[in-house]
Amino acid sequence: MLGRMRLQGMVSALAVTAALGTAPVLAQSNEVIMQDPGGGYGEALRKVMYDPFEAETGIKVITVQEARSGPRIKAQVEAGKTEWDLTFIFDQETKLLGDCCLADIDYSMMSEGAQKTLAVMPDNLKRPKGVALQVIGVGMVFNTSVYSEDNRPQSWADFWDVEKFPGQRCLPAWPRFVMEAALMADGVEKQKLYPLDMDRALKKIAEIKPHVSKWWTTSAQPPQLLLDGEADMCMAYTGSTSKLALDGAPIEVEWNQGFIYYDFFSIPKDGPNYENAMKLLSWRLEPERAAELTSNFPVALPSSVVFEAADPAVSVYWANNPANVSRAIEWSPDYWGAMSGNGTTTNEEHGQERLNALLAQ
Amino acid sequence: MTVTPLSAHAAPLRRAWMRSPTLLLVPAVLFLSVVYVLPLIDLARVSVAADPWWTHMARVFSVPLYWESLVRTMKIALTVACLCAAFGYPTALLIQRSRGSVQAMIATAVVLPYFIAILIRTYAWMVLLGRNGPINKTAIWLGIYDQPLALLFNRGTVLMGMTAVLMPLMVLSIYSSLSRLDQNLIRAALAGGAGPMAVFWRVLLPLTLPGVGAGFLLVFVSALGFFITPTLLGGPGDQMFAMHITQQADSITGEGFLQALAVVLLLITLAVVGIAGRLMGFEFIWGGGKLAEPVQRAAPEQSGVAGPGRRSFAMFLADTIGWPILRLMGRLPAATGAWTVRILGAIVLCSLILPILVVIVISFSEASYLTFPPPGWSLQWYEKFFSDSNWMTAFWNSLTIAALSSLIAVVLGATAAVGIVRSEIRYKSALMLLLVSPMIVPPVVLGLSLYSLFLHLNLVGTYFGLAAAHAIGGIPIVVVIIAASLQAVDRRLEQGAAVHGASPLTVFRTVTLPAIAPGLAAAVFFAFLHSFDELVLSLFLSSPRMKTLPLMLWADINYQLNPVLAVVSTLEVVLVVGGIFLARPVLGRSRGAH
Repeated sequence: MLGRMRLQGMVSALAVTAALGTAPVLAQSNEVIMQDPGGGYGEALRKVMYDPFEAETGIKVITVQEARSGPRIKAQVEAGKTEWDLTFIFDQETKLLGDCCLADIDYSMMSEGAQKTLAVMPDNLKRPKGVALQVIGVGMVFNTSVYSEDNRPQSWADFWDVEKFPGQRCLPAWPRFVMEAALMADGVEKQKLYPLDMDRALKKIAEIKPHVSKWWTTSAQPPQLLLDGEADMCMAYTGSTSKLALDGAPIEVEWNQGFIYYDFFSIPKDGPNYENAMKLLSWRLEPERAAELTSNFPVALPSSVVFEAADPAVSVYWANNPANVSRAIEWSPDYWGAMSGNGTTTNEEHGQERLNALLAQ
Repeated sequence: MTVTPLSAHAAPLRRAWMRSPTLLLVPAVLFLSVVYVLPLIDLARVSVAADPWWTHMARVFSVPLYWESLVRTMKIALTVACLCAAFGYPTALLIQRSRGSVQAMIATAVVLPYFIAILIRTYAWMVLLGRNGPINKTAIWLGIYDQPLALLFNRGTVLMGMTAVLMPLMVLSIYSSLSRLDQNLIRAALAGGAGPMAVFWRVLLPLTLPGVGAGFLLVFVSALGFFITPTLLGGPGDQMFAMHITQQADSITGEGFLQALAVVLLLITLAVVGIAGRLMGFEFIWGGGKLAEPVQRAAPEQSGVAGPGRRSFAMFLADTIGWPILRLMGRLPAATGAWTVRILGAIVLCSLILPILVVIVISFSEASYLTFPPPGWSLQWYEKFFSDSNWMTAFWNSLTIAALSSLIAVVLGATAAVGIVRSEIRYKSALMLLLVSPMIVPPVVLGLSLYSLFLHLNLVGTYFGLAAAHAIGGIPIVVVIIAASLQAVDRRLEQGAAVHGASPLTVFRTVTLPAIAPGLAAAVFFAFLHSFDELVLSLFLSSPRMKTLPLMLWADINYQLNPVLAVVSTLEVVLVVGGIFLARPVLGRSRGAH
């Protein structure tokens, strides 16, 4: 009954807005539009962050699921039609988009709790155009029912060793991470990776290619491939896979030679609700709440204050857990964002073209 | 005082407007010019807005990756079209030869998958063919092999998935040509002593070859722009051209080059259609010569040339290839042909229906990931769908947009169809080509081109904007269906009414409208479903506040796989089957009228 009434109300509301031919314009000052990673992470954010935020401030958080927002931000800002208030983008994008499309973050507007978190963060992670709010890990993930405790793969060399560790692999169809892993498997020390020797990396990638059942493109694929048995060992995002491990799936994450990078939260220029975006950013930076979030989904905030507040059972899976950091490598966004030798494309684009060509053979 | 002269002036004007059906074309042509042609021109402009202008184009053709991908895309599309023709023909014959409820069931089984999101059908194949999927499990249980085979992520899977997705297009195209065939010809041939094989090669195949050709080209052209199926089912060696476009769309430094890729794909598609149109007439796009009749009346010399030429080519094919095979096959038992049709038809029906059944079963699964058979049963995913406000909002958004979009498409498309069929203007084929051409433009290209226009017009993420964008693809569907219905109306009835003094509007209301009512209903239904399922344009044109059902499914497949998407597709199947069931009395009446 109630549902039906709501439904009718909704239909007539839709009819009205449809007749006007415009977007449903709500009270602008009363909302904030936030890019959302979706999935289990999105659900955790809704529960721990957004619902309490809405209850306390009365500001409605509207989420939009989008994996890569960079090109959209650029198009929106250039057309003078910014839709989003808060987005997460790659490290190199804070630089590439900084001047044209991103607003300065006014750190003085942050709440006291957020200031505490920020105080202990390295300067590189709190830039004028973006603040690092997510530590992302990419590592080796394997099926524990295939590789037992005393015969577990521990390095990219093991990943490449199909004699010692037979089974299907899965890797992202991207040059980033895969080329670094290939070089490490080929014996390059992790301090001497950059600038990458792409030729050598591609040669090594060609070796593992016959054993890769899927070159994945979205973060949901590797966990699904591992659970379905399509692959036994993958390079995967540690967030969603360690969530599965915590839930009891036969999956384990190996941090040795894993990759760590940061997602930056930025405010697109001329966004509709700058002040609300700052309020939400403060809210997300407060240490207790940030720590609670990670108990629901193990993607962490890169600040030691948050780490200390977190549940140790969960923080073993944090990409910025010192134990993990010491074994992982700091991935270089600067290298991938830099122009390649030919002068017209970035290293990332150039690497992608070359990897695609190899994979297509 | 002012009223009298105005109305006196307006009446003849209105009559003139009624008398000139050409004017009915204006709204649709205007609409398509603004939201379809203009953005594509702008896309081309961006692709050459570099210094020197050929920078981006040169990159497309100088990097072997893109060039090779283009060749591969053509090969895959060609193979898929061949497979569709080989399996689609027997299926169309099977529909045509069966009667009553069996026919309705087979026809539904073919049409149904066409209106279920590609995303869902593709994922169903992943479940079926998976290492732990039912096919591997059955084969191991039967002892055919003892280790699960890697059936997924190779060229074979891509070909099969795409063939299954595009098969309905082929079957419908061949069927429409089969059903137009004069059955007396076959009876005459049989009476004259020709065996079933000879009838097939000498009568059936040559006369339906235009239908096969039309289906072949539609499948080929649609396959050129595919990216969802190869992304999900393919291995690294199966990159298709549209996948490069979506990959580039994620890069902030790709502007210009991205548009160049899209322009290349568009130009190749247009070139294929152009060459095919030159050889067999552009009618194939709207269903194999349906326009021939009025064109013949307006300009008899035109079709006079094309008609016999095409037939003699078909005869030539039948003679050189047909007869030698025919002599060989004449030695087989007489029922072989009928059985081949049944077996091949059954294979097609299974491959179309099986994935849908699997999806329906999975929607009742207990597991939180997609596995088959389900480890246990539960209704939790239905509960989740109906209780989750995001899903419900998306559902209502989709319904609203689809309703609005089918309204736009039917109003513009139906008036344009009347205009094109009933007017005597020149360049009729060119106009028809413009009206139906959105069917052949790859959706990725269209979405990309619309984004900047919609951004400037403030239409991104609005109901009207999305509905208008979906109507671009809805108009061709409506035009084709209404034009076909109109041609079935005997013009002498209309002329008779007009002679007896009925105004054009009265003629339309009392004679034409009742006759095309079933077609109109079908057009509304199909335009509605087209919008309801549309994903690619929505991906480019939605906004944070505006999520449609296919967008939610896409997000789920990308970020979190769970049986909610099976629930959505089950509901969609119910919607389509229900629609067909409701439409049956109307369709039945139209059949009785013939």
